[in-house]
Amino acid sequence: MPDLSVRIGSLTLKNPVLVASGTFGFGADYARLYDPSRLGGVVTKAITLEPRRGNPPPRLWETPCGLLNSIGLENPGVEAFLREELPRMRALGTAVVVNVWGETPEEYAELAQRLSVPGVDAIELNLSCPNVPGKGLIGSSPAGTARVVRLCRRATGLDLWAKLPPEGDVLAAARAAEAEGATAISAANTFRGLAIDIHTGRPVFANVTGGLSGPAIKPLALRLVYELSRAVRIPVIGIGGIAGWEDALEFIMAGAHAVQVGTGNFIDPLCAPKLVRGLEKFLAERGMESWEEVRGCAHRGGIPGAA
Amino acid sequence: MDAVALRRAAVRGNAEVAPGVFLLRVEGEFRARPGQFYMVRAWERDPLLFRPLSAFDLSPGEISFLYGVRGRGTCLLSRLSPGEELELLGPLGNGWPEPPGRLALVGGGLGIAALYLAAKAFGGADVYLGFPGRPFLVEAFREVAAGLRVASESGEGGERGLVTDIFSPEGYDACYACGPRPMLAAIWEACRRAGVALFVSLEERMACGLGACLGCTVFTKDGPKRVCRDGPVFRAEEVFDA
Repeated sequence: MPDLSVRIGSLTLKNPVLVASGTFGFGADYARLYDPSRLGGVVTKAITLEPRRGNPPPRLWETPCGLLNSIGLENPGVEAFLREELPRMRALGTAVVVNVWGETPEEYAELAQRLSVPGVDAIELNLSCPNVPGKGLIGSSPAGTARVVRLCRRATGLDLWAKLPPEGDVLAAARAAEAEGATAISAANTFRGLAIDIHTGRPVFANVTGGLSGPAIKPLALRLVYELSRAVRIPVIGIGGIAGWEDALEFIMAGAHAVQVGTGNFIDPLCAPKLVRGLEKFLAERGMESWEEVRGCAHRGGIPGAA
Repeated sequence: MDAVALRRAAVRGNAEVAPGVFLLRVEGEFRARPGQFYMVRAWERDPLLFRPLSAFDLSPGEISFLYGVRGRGTCLLSRLSPGEELELLGPLGNGWPEPPGRLALVGGGLGIAALYLAAKAFGGADVYLGFPGRPFLVEAFREVAAGLRVASESGEGGERGLVTDIFSPEGYDACYACGPRPMLAAIWEACRRAGVALFVSLEERMACGLGACLGCTVFTKDGPKRVCRDGPVFRAEEVFDA
């Protein structure tokens, strides 16, 4: 049996498959279908200091092989999360990564500090939510990213994963995050997109733009992960259109230490556990004992000995 | 809690009961309560999402769904032939509550999809149906309704007008309604004046169907609610007095 585990900073994940923020709630919904302990980890819906109700409907718009969303950070707030959701998440039997979003760098730091409790395995800094009215993407600027990571680094001893947008100077932002003590780079969030209702002539979303996810963005995200894995020494976690184990493997070959399944959960609710099985089978069939030979092999001439 | 399952099942029939409206019959033993729904798909990655469809009817060895062709997904569903397979995730949602006494069921257009099983399961309910054009599945409803009235905007196959013209809540203990929002709002006005409890089944675009993605949230008096998990059935005052 190959060893599927991966190390991200101080955390050892039992396998490299996580589920992405905003697509898996706090784990209980999908636990009606399968045991989340089969996963390497669960990343929570973004948590903010105060509860947020999010954007008005519609919040979803399908595009060819893609999905635009405009959820807008609906969440119960950090207090209710710690009280209601975290105790249940601790029982999931997998790593719990809490995704956080702040209006300011100081808010991120306060969230990081308040979430430094037993049961939280890492914090993912959402520097890239595309759906907040009047707010830009802090992670598209190296200076903004640096400031958030610096303040959070002082506020918590937990691993910090910087989740970057796929737009802006992402490589520079990733280097800035690394320099300030980020443990990993999650790449990437959704692409900002737009849909217009031709019957009304108006954008379909109240907030005008939405975030594009799904298989439509996979090659774009893969290119970014390939470049990022060269630009930084800390682990890169690949996200973007992963819907099958082959997709996940491409990200790992591009240099990702782990992957997150987001919209893939909506294509097949069993996508993530199937991915774990598929990856395990791939390693086993090739007699590989760990990820070493495969991870990043696209940068060094492919799988050793492959024709 | 109900056991939710993802399963494959074979199509038994897929008849066009009105222009662009289909009754899809699927083989298998299913357990859904009236007002619950399934996420349905019969394609790989495009369209991306399942389509949420109310359980129209259940009988031994079969479940059926009533749907209208609106976009690519429902168009692909309409082309399914007997023997072809589809995927079903469910049963999902809360469903209608047990009725407290004399019950009226009010449906507009494809909203009737959420009401047939209720009429059949609860028994003794009066049914009011409204259609923009020629009515469909009226005879099926007649078999399970205590009383039945049908309205159509064109006057074809029913009383000319809207379902709100033929329905009055007087004398009922509760009303369950499904249809376009303006219809639901009008029925709520009538029920509120008459002091009759109204439950409505809402429709929203959905991604996960399980309560995780918050794509189908509606704002209610009691805060944001997920149509897929907290609904699709809500007390009318929750939704319309928000």
